[in-house]
Amino acid sequence: MDFGFTPEQDALRAQARRLLDQELPLERILAWSAAPSALDRALWKKTAALGWAGLTVAEAHGGLGLGAVDLIVLLEEMGKSLCPLPLAATDLAAAALGALGDGAQQAAWLPKIARGDVVATVAIAEGSDVPTADGVAARAGARGTDVTLDGTKLFVPDGQHADLLLIAAREGAGVSLFAVPADTPGVTVRPLVVVDATKPAAEIALAGAVVPARNRLGAVGGAWPTLARLVDRQTITHAAEMVGSADAALRLAVEYAKVRRQFGSPIGRFQGVKHRCAEMLCDVESARSLVYYAAWAVDHAPDDVPSYASMAKAAASEALDTAGEECVQIHGAIGYTWECHAHLFYKRGRQSHVWLGAPDEHYERVMTVLQHG
Amino acid sequence: MDFTFSAEDEAFRAEVRAFIRDHLPKRSGQDQMDVEEGMSDLPALYKWNQDLHAKGWVGFHWPREVGGGGGTISEQMILKEEMARVKAPMLGLSYMGLAWVGPALIKYGTQEQKDRHIGPILRGEVQWCTGYSEPGAGSDLAALQCRAVRDGDDYVVNGQKIWTSLAMWAQWMILLVRTDPRAPKHLGITCLLVPMSTPGLTVKPIKEMNGGAMFAEVFFEDVRVAVANRLGAEGQGWDVTKDALANERSSIADVWALKHRLEAIRDLAARRTRRGRPAIEDPGIRQRIARMETQVEAMRLNGLRFVTKQLRGEPLGAETSINKLIRARIEIESGRLARDIEGSFGILAKTSPHAVDKGRWQKVMLSWPPFVIGGGTPNIQKNVIAERILGLPHDV
Ligand SMILES: Cc1cc2nc3c(=O)[nH]c(=O)nc-3n(C[C@H](O)[C@H](O)[C@H](O)COP(=O)(O)OP(=O)(O)OC[C@H]3O[C@@H](n4cnc5c(N)ncnc54)[C@H](O)[C@@H]3O)c2cc1C
Repeated sequence: MDFGFTPEQDALRAQARRLLDQELPLERILAWSAAPSALDRALWKKTAALGWAGLTVAEAHGGLGLGAVDLIVLLEEMGKSLCPLPLAATDLAAAALGALGDGAQQAAWLPKIARGDVVATVAIAEGSDVPTADGVAARAGARGTDVTLDGTKLFVPDGQHADLLLIAAREGAGVSLFAVPADTPGVTVRPLVVVDATKPAAEIALAGAVVPARNRLGAVGGAWPTLARLVDRQTITHAAEMVGSADAALRLAVEYAKVRRQFGSPIGRFQGVKHRCAEMLCDVESARSLVYYAAWAVDHAPDDVPSYASMAKAAASEALDTAGEECVQIHGAIGYTWECHAHLFYKRGRQSHVWLGAPDEHYERVMTVLQHG
Repeated sequence: MDFTFSAEDEAFRAEVRAFIRDHLPKRSGQDQMDVEEGMSDLPALYKWNQDLHAKGWVGFHWPREVGGGGGTISEQMILKEEMARVKAPMLGLSYMGLAWVGPALIKYGTQEQKDRHIGPILRGEVQWCTGYSEPGAGSDLAALQCRAVRDGDDYVVNGQKIWTSLAMWAQWMILLVRTDPRAPKHLGITCLLVPMSTPGLTVKPIKEMNGGAMFAEVFFEDVRVAVANRLGAEGQGWDVTKDALANERSSIADVWALKHRLEAIRDLAARRTRRGRPAIEDPGIRQRIARMETQVEAMRLNGLRFVTKQLRGEPLGAETSINKLIRARIEIESGRLARDIEGSFGILAKTSPHAVDKGRWQKVMLSWPPFVIGGGTPNIQKNVIAERILGLPHDV
């Protein structure tokens, strides 16, 4: 029994912290969030050279062949830095290719992903933020050896930065997944204007976009069971980022509470402040434990994944939503200024809370699993 | 990360399961934390204690030299978990003797004291009570005033203790007294072991809000305690008891008790109705149940992270306050939720013939203070977390 990390995982965490502190201090994130620009491809390549982009890609395809627990170590650190690199989205696409792609499809894309040459994402959701099979209305129609795609995908994580889009579309009675290069004619990617600019998302309009049928990943109409599992994976990796962000928001508030003085004393001495911080720590650590276990379950206890993904997301949502808000409050009026970093965490909290499902949706699922297994 | 156990550990688990099959006493077994119920069938519990002791499973984590079981951390986990899973009674009758008197004796006791006390604690022959709190010293325990003055080979004790759990049944008390009123408040305190039958000592039970009486006031009037019954040096009392409380094990058994309670709440919600439908279909009720399940699961996993630290030989610090705080929330919310699910039946007292589940939920609603106030209130836990983990300044 060991519910902790290996020395290798600790080293990975330390590496991530060093690189993120160096390359993406919060001042840089702040500046970037005022005017979000293109993805920093040089930085993406640099992290790919360290193995991040291909972390969970099989070694045969140029990846490190590591697991979900290793991945969330990175993501937790990225969450602390509010790092906008598209690691979670790219990992999700790589996992989809790994699960549904045939040998040729994997060989075509995975090595490029692992090298950092191709940024990828998966487009499932449309009208509803929690992706469901019924919610997939985009259509795929066969035309000879080609497939034509029509419809609109919403809330596509890092869609504007992706070179490769894996698009879920209705085909026959089921849902299929297609590998669609972003520059395919008939594909229009528009960045969504979001509250938290450090968490980019896009709208993808498909108007008669044509891809060869060999770009279908898996059987005709047979992708949903795998996509459902991938949504859980996405929920867990997102919760890991949220735990990192909540931790950082709490630390930011605590450090300020140690130095800001009022009534002749650091404000962190007042229980109205210190007890809120203690409660936040309690909630952050609880969410962290749930995320760690959920990530472990991805590779070792698949039956546990649905309910733990939901518990982790609900707990992380509550922890970060509160930590971001308290971080603003504990800073007083300074917390309301653009220069203070508190609002970055507040926005991340408010946005992530509902992204991939607000706590009430996840609690409902926890209850369903409890009742029906 | 690895949630599997070694082959030796799994063999140990099988041994525990076999033992349970052969020796677990039959009992109503609703709520493991229920003291009243826990004391209900003493002969069976005494037998249970003897059977456990024969296996070395009472004081399982104590060293073998003193009569403990010398169990490894993972074996302790397995033992606790397997027992809690089947709602077994506590692992030994001498509740406080096992929880902190024994560990304090092992660390600070003379050979004579160990020889005299540890055997009876392990065999469940003696009940201990804890005389720390006073009317003027609760959260601020070090402010205690109960006075002991040296007189030849005795200390003469005068003063009062309060909230002393089990005082009316106990044969011995672990007592904190002030021996040096001029010393700084943490340093003038001494720990004594006192037979409850000593002349001058009187016990006055206190009625609780649930109608029961599990704790008491204890008065000392020229109570003579032999110096040989002093635990640790004079003035060392604070360290003796502080260390002992830090010996509290992780919260595995508590987690299982709460899991069982939530299971029973789900069952209650399936039987009760709201607007003509089972209450368990009500979205509001579902949210509250699932949120509590999530918190209990977090408490379980937090506990596993803390145990992992211990297994890796790292010291456990103030982290355990995190689970105490979560537990306090769940203790209170579970009683409130059960009442809400009961609906109109929630107004009925435990003794009403109409009471649902023989009044079990009224009892839960009226019996959380031992787990919330006893052993440090939530505010005090928050101070501990804020100061020791987050490094925020002391407020007092
Ligand atoms: C069921 C039960 C069994 C018990 N059994 C025993 C026993 O066997 N032996 C024994 O010695 N004691 C026992 N106790 C006593 C217990 O340890 C004390 O009740 C506890 O430490 C709190 O002390 P108090 O009751 O005097 O409350 P107080 O210390 O007076 O606290 C009252 C309120 O003030 C708050 N407060 C106090 N100080 C602060 C602060 N610095 N910051 C913020 N808020 C603060 C508390 O959180 C609480 O809400 C038991 C208590 C209960 C309820």
